[in-house]
Amino acid sequence: MKEEDFRELVGKYSEQLYWHIRSLVGSHEDADDLVQETFIKVWKALPSFRGESSLSTWLWRIATNEALGFLRKRRVRASLMFESLDAEAERVVDSDPWFDGDKAQRQLAKAILSLPPKQRSVFCMRYFEELPYEQISEITGTSVGALKSSYHLAAEKLKVLIESVD
Amino acid sequence: MSKKMNYNVPDGYFENLQKRLSAIPAQVEKPSRMQKFTPYLALAACFAIAVMIGNFVLRRSTVPVASEDEIIEYLIASDITLAQIEDYLITNQ
Repeated sequence: MKEEDFRELVGKYSEQLYWHIRSLVGSHEDADDLVQETFIKVWKALPSFRGESSLSTWLWRIATNEALGFLRKRRVRASLMFESLDAEAERVVDSDPWFDGDKAQRQLAKAILSLPPKQRSVFCMRYFEELPYEQISEITGTSVGALKSSYHLAAEKLKVLIESVD
Repeated sequence: MSKKMNYNVPDGYFENLQKRLSAIPAQVEKPSRMQKFTPYLALAACFAIAVMIGNFVLRRSTVPVASEDEIIEYLIASDITLAQIEDYLITNQ
């Protein structure tokens, strides 16, 4: 693939991928780093892309793996400092200057970020990005049935988390 | 979607991001043909080494076996009689 094709890819998908990553990691700064890492991987891996899945599914898979890898490291770091998932979510949302929601929306963002990373990724892809379960299944390599139950579990948890704050 | 998430970005961020991302090919070297095949070459080398070691071990542990013709010739050339062979077969059945 030539550089012009890559640039076309950047033009078409960079913003969507940024929002995808941002929904998973919360902070603008981290999402900015990760979208850059994602496109570096895309550029390196493009010659081996065989079209077994659609290009967008392939891009989302790379971005999701990149974000989940980052979240794993962040969780380990937080655990070493005896910080719970809730406390970590609170810190991420409160320290991000690029969050413009009111108190309730801030609470929702914190609740989403306190979900376990994989469950959060399923919830965000379905709820915010409105991706069909079949595509999420291709991205994550998880069955549609398992995704549906994961989504409903996440929605239930969020309901409880938000109600407990009110 | 950003509104639904209530996340925001600095002004002109996406234009700037696109510029930075478009510069990746100039900054990051694409893996060469050799680099692309290196994992496969390593795998092939491992396989070849495993075959060589297996072959070596098998050769060392295999007891040479005489062919049927060689056994018959040996029996003919020796002083052994048919009765002795029969005895041997009956006692070792």
